[in-house]
Amino acid sequence: MQDHSVPIDINSANPVQNKTRYFRLLARLGTFTLIRELSFRGNFLVKVIVEVLWLAILLAFYETVFARTSVVASWSKQDYMFFVGCFFALNGVIETLFLENCNEFSNLVRTGDLDFLLLKPIDEQFLITCRRVDWSVSPNIIMGFCIMGVSLWNKGWEFDALRVAMFGITFTCGVAIAYSFMLVLTSCSVWLVRNQSLMEMWWLFSSLARYPREIYQRGWAQSLDIVFTYILPILLVVNVPSRVMMKAMQPEMIAFILVATVVSLSLSRWFFLKALRSYRSASS
Amino acid sequence: MSVAIDPEPDDSYELQSPTRKGTWQKYYRVLRVSIAERMTYRADFLLGTFLRMLPMVTTILLWQAIYKGSGQEVLAGFKYREMIAYLLLVHISRMFSSMPGLAAGISREIREGTLKKYLIQPLDLLGYLISYRTAHKITYILMAALPYGIIFYICRHYFDGLPSAPICLAYVLSLLLSFLIGFYFEAAVGMVGFWFLEVTSILYIVITLNYFISGQMLPLDLLPPFWAGLLKVMPFQYMAYFPAVVFLGKVQGSELLWGLGLEAFWAIFFAWLARFLYRRGLRHYGAYGG
Repeated sequence: MQDHSVPIDINSANPVQNKTRYFRLLARLGTFTLIRELSFRGNFLVKVIVEVLWLAILLAFYETVFARTSVVASWSKQDYMFFVGCFFALNGVIETLFLENCNEFSNLVRTGDLDFLLLKPIDEQFLITCRRVDWSVSPNIIMGFCIMGVSLWNKGWEFDALRVAMFGITFTCGVAIAYSFMLVLTSCSVWLVRNQSLMEMWWLFSSLARYPREIYQRGWAQSLDIVFTYILPILLVVNVPSRVMMKAMQPEMIAFILVATVVSLSLSRWFFLKALRSYRSASS
Repeated sequence: MSVAIDPEPDDSYELQSPTRKGTWQKYYRVLRVSIAERMTYRADFLLGTFLRMLPMVTTILLWQAIYKGSGQEVLAGFKYREMIAYLLLVHISRMFSSMPGLAAGISREIREGTLKKYLIQPLDLLGYLISYRTAHKITYILMAALPYGIIFYICRHYFDGLPSAPICLAYVLSLLLSFLIGFYFEAAVGMVGFWFLEVTSILYIVITLNYFISGQMLPLDLLPPFWAGLLKVMPFQYMAYFPAVVFLGKVQGSELLWGLGLEAFWAIFFAWLARFLYRRGLRHYGAYGG
């Protein structure tokens, strides 16, 4: 029988091994959750079907909309579909890697099971937010990239290595910012114990990110644009990578998303550790 | 464990509860207890209702951009104001027709064997559940009146005021029938649990599809004529689209009467289907579990 134990020396003095052990551990955790998920293949398949169905509904909605108009907030159909694909892929990454783990955090706090995770000789933030991979939503990442690919094809996009590289960087920044927001909301569970409304807050944040920034740049919505671009930069998450590929590049926005990523990750980590210091074990 | 189950539970139940008045009193008590239970988490409920309505802000902005982009004032018979009013009214429709956890709850009772309490006590499953859900809806509507009232007041300029009394009457009727369709449809899905044990997967697919085909995302009139026509004879439109267009006065005269008639037909059909599946299902029921 294959041994699935983790042969990772956590106290390794080798700095290269130290740097890679988180990736190796993530790969092992991913393998473990995949094996567990495939024990219930029917359930796994249905969850994938639901995701495909949801994407089909989203595409049907935008097909219906673009049958009546050629442009939405200065985004043509192909540009907009790229945006939708980018959102779907990015949200897929977040849901695959972090959402289920963050959802589970309040239960760990309430039951006191968090103690067992804190005792492990590994970074707490890594273990709490990455210990399970939700493979059933991972096809969303592929589907998102497929929509982006089809949109580029339909637009007659010409390959541009700089744009692709910038897209890779800004997409990663988008994931990091979204992760930071989720981490802050999750950390609140230490004080609030119940996190149902917090997860609704996350859903609200993600619903802001799913539309082009231009829809917020009129009338009373301009204040939303300013707040959610420059103070709580959730509007950057999908907008910047999509613009990099489909519209004129804005170096200042690329620079800004890099700064916003560093600040978001640092602040969220500080907040998470502060929350952990307030944790009082609830179990016996 | 397997026990012999009477496939006609209603007959045995009638022996213990001979009068119709007694039956009503019993379900009235279920209603009162459920109302008290639902009123426990008021603050959480108010916060949740507000949070759920906030995405409406982005929806309004998106449709504003769509109308501006199209350069037209009317899309599929809907002006911009009517479109936003429609999307707000859909929330009211769903307030009546959505039944969170109903089908999953029925299938759980079947799977875990706890359904037998309805068979050994003088209590009908569907009768109990509709009393419970009615209580749920009454408290939900009463408590949502404040947040919804505020939101509709802020958005009042999207409406042309209240429609005429007959339209208001038809609107209320369509909402009540949408409650019955929503309840019996989900109950029928839950009854499938007698044969499949686990219906959550079917339910996920149904809920996801229903979101689009009931007109929650956009009015069905925007779809290509074939699909719009097809969806308008199906029962799902009554859970969101139909009550909203009734309020907006998009359906009037004989068309309104025909729509209400068809809605009543679907409500009766699903009530019959749920009862039929329940009786058939009891013949398969093994009452496993504690």
